[in-house]
Amino acid sequence: MSKYSLLSQSEHAKLRVITERSAAYGDNLMYAMTFPLEFRNIESCYPIFFAKDGESGQFYPLALFGFQRDENLYLNGSHWDATYMPLMVERNPFLIGFQQSPDIDNGEKRPVVSINVESPRVTEVETEAKSEALFTDSGEPSEYLQKSMENLQTIHRGHEQNKTFIAALLENDLLEGFNLDITLMDGSNNRLEGFYTINEEKLAGLEPETLGKLHEQGFLQAIYMVVASFSNVSGLIAKKNASLD
Amino acid sequence: MSKQISRLVIVGGGTAGWLSAGVIAAEHAISKAGDQQENHFQLTLIESPDIKTIGVGEGTWPSMRTTLKKMGLSETDFIRECSASFKQGTEFAGWTTGENDNYTHPFTAPQGYSETNLAPHWQALQEGRPRFDQAVSPQSVLFDDSRAPKQISTPEYACAVNYGYHLDAAKFAEFLRKHCVEKLGVKHVKSNVIAVNSAENGDISSIETDSSGTIEGDLFIDCSGSRALLLGEHYNVPLRSKKQYLFNDTALAVQVPYANPDDPIASCTLSTAQSAGWIWDIGLPSRRGTGHVYSSAHNSEDKATAELLSYIERTAGAQAAADAEPRKINFDPGHRAEFWHKNCVAVGMSAGFIEPLEASALILVELSANMIAEQLPANREMMDIVAKRFNHKFLYRWDRIIDFLKLHYILNRRQDQYWRDHLDPSTIPESLQELIAMWKYQGPWHRDTNHTDEMFPSASFQYVLYGMNFETQPSTTTRRSDRVGREAAADLFQKNAKQRQQLQAAMPTNRELINKISTYGLQKI
Repeated sequence: MSKYSLLSQSEHAKLRVITERSAAYGDNLMYAMTFPLEFRNIESCYPIFFAKDGESGQFYPLALFGFQRDENLYLNGSHWDATYMPLMVERNPFLIGFQQSPDIDNGEKRPVVSINVESPRVTEVETEAKSEALFTDSGEPSEYLQKSMENLQTIHRGHEQNKTFIAALLENDLLEGFNLDITLMDGSNNRLEGFYTINEEKLAGLEPETLGKLHEQGFLQAIYMVVASFSNVSGLIAKKNASLD
Repeated sequence: MSKQISRLVIVGGGTAGWLSAGVIAAEHAISKAGDQQENHFQLTLIESPDIKTIGVGEGTWPSMRTTLKKMGLSETDFIRECSASFKQGTEFAGWTTGENDNYTHPFTAPQGYSETNLAPHWQALQEGRPRFDQAVSPQSVLFDDSRAPKQISTPEYACAVNYGYHLDAAKFAEFLRKHCVEKLGVKHVKSNVIAVNSAENGDISSIETDSSGTIEGDLFIDCSGSRALLLGEHYNVPLRSKKQYLFNDTALAVQVPYANPDDPIASCTLSTAQSAGWIWDIGLPSRRGTGHVYSSAHNSEDKATAELLSYIERTAGAQAAADAEPRKINFDPGHRAEFWHKNCVAVGMSAGFIEPLEASALILVELSANMIAEQLPANREMMDIVAKRFNHKFLYRWDRIIDFLKLHYILNRRQDQYWRDHLDPSTIPESLQELIAMWKYQGPWHRDTNHTDEMFPSASFQYVLYGMNFETQPSTTTRRSDRVGREAAADLFQKNAKQRQQLQAAMPTNRELINKISTYGLQKI
């Protein structure tokens, strides 16, 4: 259920966005894309791994929320049980896109904001669930919308950052595939497949020159935050075990 | 002490020359200028600037993936630069009756093939059963709508189902040349050979060139094409014709454009039987390569041309047929009496050439170059032993190729003289006659494999035999092992049907995947 339309005051003046968290609003996510610029916050709550985009085969970093499709162990009814909300979750139902603009001659594209008008978050009436208006009565963007648009700008920078980050990781052979075998308290064996992580052996073997370059790019810290985030897996397993009770 | 073998000279720079250079240099590190190592190893390739390469080999076996990977090549670069696409097998049309019959030989073995032989269970199925390749292998479902053997997220050289390539031979030679010279340290000499100099013991001591002086070597690899400059012209090693088994001796080749740039790219080589030969059809991203290979004793050039043009008109339109100017290639099907003589070994068309029915040209280059690389004699004394082993192995391989190609012809029920002549027992090698006699009572299975590195596994024989509705008699005894087999077989048929559905749903078309590879590239992991 996705139908994105360019956001405009004239067309969307009355729209409200439900800001509560719930599986009904599509928050039953197993993972979401993330960016080095938010790794510090992500690393404090979630394990960071990498996956390939199905359309392009390109790698991207992600924050892991569960061990199987549609499983979000941080989602507890209408509550998201973590101190930080990843940008790519927060952004819904908005999307940042790019448009060739007639008033820009140098071929650059102008960022434009779209809204998924078919998202279950989007409503025209006040609901029981907490919601925010997009525009004020006088037709100005609401504080909520302004904040959302700032997030989208950050996400846009994040996408650009991911490109160079991934390129740097691949150039140095720092990614490796891995399988995570988990035995749960009920005795069941579960396997997490298809994700990638930092190859720590390769990382430890990097030449000072390469380390210097990664540091200059601001990626060395990001890499170590990915490595450190692995400790969040045990927290995730604990949540999973708790959910079995 | 016997002379060390450290200077290799390849004569000829087509796909055979550059592929051999790449395979050997990937195994044996070439010494750089100024290296103070004790063991110097040099590889020089002499290429005539005046001779055009033939470049008929445009289909490979899955082994090419390993070959390219070993050489340190990126599959993304290869696909982009060689106009390559994925080949998952061959489809044969009209070979049995000539009346809309077809079957395929996919690269993936039947389900459970290491333990269970599905063929007798398939034969026992009732009328209306699926075609053999459809019943036992998931792969041919991808041929129907030109789908790929992998996805964009599948790493380089990895696959969902086994594949080789279709490629542009001229671009491929250039791609390999660049890698060999720039990355692997192969020395490229662009000159014509004007003389071959002999040593006292009859070895070749050096090659005299018109513009690069004398090039000395310890081992000479003849990749000069059907002319066989060293093995044929210098050593007079005779060509053994195999025309008595495989009659085709003429090819008319022509490239055909797609009507639309985003037309589907076929997943397999399409081979369509004609009155006295067959037409190959190979889909590259940029164009198709087609050709009619036929027996000049059974068909005139005019009629063969007309058959080819009619095929092109049917598959690419009247304009493509009107524009087509086929190039004629004559060849004497067969191979040299030996391939390694003294300090000279022939690889590629200099060793032999036969119709491209199962794309045996490039695989033989790979196998030859691999054996040279693996068993590179340490010194001159060793070389005669290696040469003997090499000749033994490749004479055996040529015999197996001839048997396997001939098999495609001897189960037909067509009426043309050419096809009837193929059924004449005097045109069938004795080894194949024995196999056929045996297969009437026990079909091809692992026991038929004499060597661990057999070119054609028994599965390949099954695909052709049962694709052409060959009947193997049910066993005359009740085999205790069969009871378990029957249940396992039912499961495997079901598993296969399910896999076919899954593959069809999950795999992109070749065109989609090739476009994505050109935009994003494949990942290495």
